[in-house]
Amino acid sequence: MKELTCTVKYNACIARGIYAMTVALPEEVAVRCGQFLNISTGNPANLLKRPFGIMRVNGKNVTFCYQVKGEGTRLLSEAKGGERLKVTLPLGNGFVIPEGAKRIAVVGGGVGIFPLLSVIEQIADREYYSYIGFRSAEYACLTAEFGAASKSLTVVTDDGSLGGKSNAVSAFLAEYGRVKPDLIIACGPPVMLKALKTQLNERGITTPCLVSLEERMGCGIGACLVCVCKKSDGTNARVCKDGPVFDIDEVEL
Amino acid sequence: MANLNVNICGVQFKNPVIAASGTFGFGREFNEIYDISCIGGVSTKGTTMEPRLGNPVPRIAEGPSVILNAVGLQNPGVEHFIADDLEFLKSKGVVVIANVAGSTLEDYRNICRRLNGLVDMIELNISCPNVHAGGMALGIKPQNIKEVTRITRAELTKTPLIVKLSPNVESIVVNARVAEEGGADRISLLNTFTGMAIDLERRRPVIANNTGGVSGAGIKPIALRMVYEAAHAVKIPVIGMGGITCGRDALEFMCAGARAVQVGTANFTDPLAIPRIIGEMNEWLDAHNISDVNQIIDTLALN
Repeated sequence: MKELTCTVKYNACIARGIYAMTVALPEEVAVRCGQFLNISTGNPANLLKRPFGIMRVNGKNVTFCYQVKGEGTRLLSEAKGGERLKVTLPLGNGFVIPEGAKRIAVVGGGVGIFPLLSVIEQIADREYYSYIGFRSAEYACLTAEFGAASKSLTVVTDDGSLGGKSNAVSAFLAEYGRVKPDLIIACGPPVMLKALKTQLNERGITTPCLVSLEERMGCGIGACLVCVCKKSDGTNARVCKDGPVFDIDEVEL
Repeated sequence: MANLNVNICGVQFKNPVIAASGTFGFGREFNEIYDISCIGGVSTKGTTMEPRLGNPVPRIAEGPSVILNAVGLQNPGVEHFIADDLEFLKSKGVVVIANVAGSTLEDYRNICRRLNGLVDMIELNISCPNVHAGGMALGIKPQNIKEVTRITRAELTKTPLIVKLSPNVESIVVNARVAEEGGADRISLLNTFTGMAIDLERRRPVIANNTGGVSGAGIKPIALRMVYEAAHAVKIPVIGMGGITCGRDALEFMCAGARAVQVGTANFTDPLAIPRIIGEMNEWLDAHNISDVNQIIDTLALN
């Protein structure tokens, strides 16, 4: 876990309201797939950094994607090459993919697809069956990258403007019997993860499932107890430090 | 290199910078980024007798140069603190200040009894705006402040007592004085200002608790004024805080009468804020040929 000053190398719109940013770190930092970073917006009046899942690491270059949601991310989207930002990384536990998991189903919705790409690109010796969903075609991105790293890729949209008219969870469940994965990894909006958990339970599917959660964060390093989620045993877990990746049965969604 | 040692009623600090309660956990996470033994002291996450789960999420929002939080005193309970965190903090050679809270006077009495002699100082959190019993309810009315201070002071035969004051009050001067009259060894101020952030699209408060405590650089002028007023209303030492982000900010609070300072929200913006602030204080003192930080305390001359 390091606090560094990075330099923006690349920052471009890749879909409606979605940006990809590559920053150069002053040194190489070891990052596990599914970990995240916390980055300043460039405006000192924004006292909080913004947390984003790390998508790719290439030497000192780190790439992540983000959606413009408010003032902070709007400012970030205007950052020019050469701009210097403060970044804390790597944060969180990341995905721990068991050796025995050979066939892995990847279920991603919207901006939840980015940390999933870090898994399928970094741990290449597995078969990935990917199901990614977007609101509509104009929000779709990285489909080529997912296609290249997956054994099969299904793209769906809520309105049917790209791929089938469906969502990632339904698309995955429709093929579950054929794919028979050893492991499911998922990331997406809360409603999607909740649907996934409900459906797995209703269908009696006991395949291990790892989910990456999102929550509004303060420090990002586990000290402030702002970004908690409820665990099934009634206690709280810190999304930033104990997560963001949890076993789906371990957390209430 | 100026002397940064301060002595507050017999407790020696290697420098006057303390990590503020609720922003620093029990120190372990920040210690993964830097060795926290460089800090003067750590005020722990607000600790209660029993573990607490705190408020629903979202617990945080942001405004220009401020944040709002409503964590609601989530903590693992005092026994967990004693068993798991106290030795770690002691091993770092920082002044260990246990920030304690409760719902009733009895809770405050019990937790002070339990921690008496185990920590370097107790900071009474009677100013948390985010819990619905105890917390700030005990910290607004002067007679309540005096009562909770008196009761806890009686328990603390071996440990100095700091009373942390809320700014959400009619008179900070009156509340500082009643804490002193109740037997407080020091006061610290200020806790957060109760505020609200609104998501206009949803016509709802951003924070699940609806209101949250406002902190960060934006509150510094108000905090400075209140620390100045409180420091000149009592004889006991004052620990000042509110929006400190750099060495000059810390020295301004000391100039206004604070004997030490706490740094909170700045830890979120810059995880290295505290060691940076200590370094900047040194640089400023050196640049002004001041050999001892104590020489800056209470030097403010009004116009």
